[in-house]
Amino acid sequence: MINIQDIRDTARDLLAKGEVRAVIGWRAGSRGMAVEPVVITAPEQADELVWDPTCYHNLALHLVEDRKFLAHARKTAGAPIGIIAKGCDARAIVVLMQENYFKREDVYIIGVSCEGSGVIAEWKVARQLDGAVPTAAAFAGDEFAFATAAGEKRLPAREVMADRCLECRNPFPKEHNVALGEDKTGRALDAPFAALARFETRSEGERWEFWQRQFERCIRCFACRSVCPMCYCEECVVDSINIAVAPETTAEEKANRIRWIERSAVKSENITYHMTRAIHLAGRCVDCGECERVCPVNIPLRLLNNKMEREARERFGYEPGASIGGPSLVASFRDDDPGAFIR
Amino acid sequence: MNAAKPMSAANPMSEQQAYEPKIVAFLCKWCSSAGSDLAGVSRIQYPANATPITVPCSGSMSPMYILSAFNKGADGVLVSGCHIGDCHYMEGNFLARRKIHLVKELLQFIGVEENRFRMSWVSAAEGAKYAQVVKDFVEDLRPLGPQEKLKAQRT
Repeated sequence: MINIQDIRDTARDLLAKGEVRAVIGWRAGSRGMAVEPVVITAPEQADELVWDPTCYHNLALHLVEDRKFLAHARKTAGAPIGIIAKGCDARAIVVLMQENYFKREDVYIIGVSCEGSGVIAEWKVARQLDGAVPTAAAFAGDEFAFATAAGEKRLPAREVMADRCLECRNPFPKEHNVALGEDKTGRALDAPFAALARFETRSEGERWEFWQRQFERCIRCFACRSVCPMCYCEECVVDSINIAVAPETTAEEKANRIRWIERSAVKSENITYHMTRAIHLAGRCVDCGECERVCPVNIPLRLLNNKMEREARERFGYEPGASIGGPSLVASFRDDDPGAFIR
Repeated sequence: MNAAKPMSAANPMSEQQAYEPKIVAFLCKWCSSAGSDLAGVSRIQYPANATPITVPCSGSMSPMYILSAFNKGADGVLVSGCHIGDCHYMEGNFLARRKIHLVKELLQFIGVEENRFRMSWVSAAEGAKYAQVVKDFVEDLRPLGPQEKLKAQRT
């Protein structure tokens, strides 16, 4: 069990000594039990920090935002930025560093281990609590404790944990400057890729039936893209809206700019968007499951990313977020990569 | 009588007969593209269903090209490059092998027929092989019918 005071003390110390210019963490939110991400810059703010089962956000996203902000402001970073990172967050940070998005010395990682549990899936909690609205959540060993109007309710962690946490193999942030909590690497409450394996028992026709229903619903809000720390491109390939328009640019040129995918929420375009995103995340997605969590129409996006992750793992022996110096999945190869499908 | 004149105006071709699969073939400039040329100058008979698009290297294939081809109505997509070890850029086809494998798996995962997408190694000397690859592809595509799954539904 991590004592929240340890996290606060660490953050306070770092800020007081000026070793970091800010710490990205979580604080109590305004929406029920859910916490919200926060960036603290002063030692006295450290007491705002919290650590509970609703810390599901992947904070690596805010490192990307910080990096973008600095680039736009044409500022140099100076002191590193501190970040509280779960196992998946730390993997995401490693991938970003592997891609040279920022350097190792620009980040101070305060690793927190998810230990025997993980974070919750709100929909599972809502189902279990039968309508009661929890106002706070806390770790309690193998259980989560929820504060509701009717008093404290305890639920087994397994019942309400997010799917990705159940399948998580690395709940401990391997890459860290300081780590809190117990290392429980290798713990997987459910078999890794369990949901994917279940899905893959379906036939081709059933898979198509399933996916077309999912993609039909997509409203192209791009929440999955916004919440993903790996989707850091300034201009996404699916919305080429930033063509350089000069006075002499004709209407025809504007109309005929390359559009790989239309922005309209039509099934065929949605499929192409999600497929493109899955491919772009192959070997980079660390399975933080945020895309699936934020999807307003509940498209099981994790399945797509899991599929790519498992291919990379089983066929190419590649583990995303494993090493900063290693090559990336699609920029490397082995002589014995599978090639039997090629004629 | 109808059977004797299946294509008469009174008996228009059924959809199945009229269907000719459209293939978009992405061919490496250094080998497969020359291979397709060789098939041509050698007067090898093969189906005219494939529209060749020359790319600098099979490793330069973006998955977007493939998805976009399907999106714009291709019934099948073929990617063809140099044999392993023959890449003009030393390692382009090694990279392609990995990337294309992922695209292929993803397409099958969402339920697109396996035979819609194919990759082959065709060297500049293998005109006959290119003809065979296209012939086989067309034959495999024919029973699948038009590709509607990824095709843009624009109104």
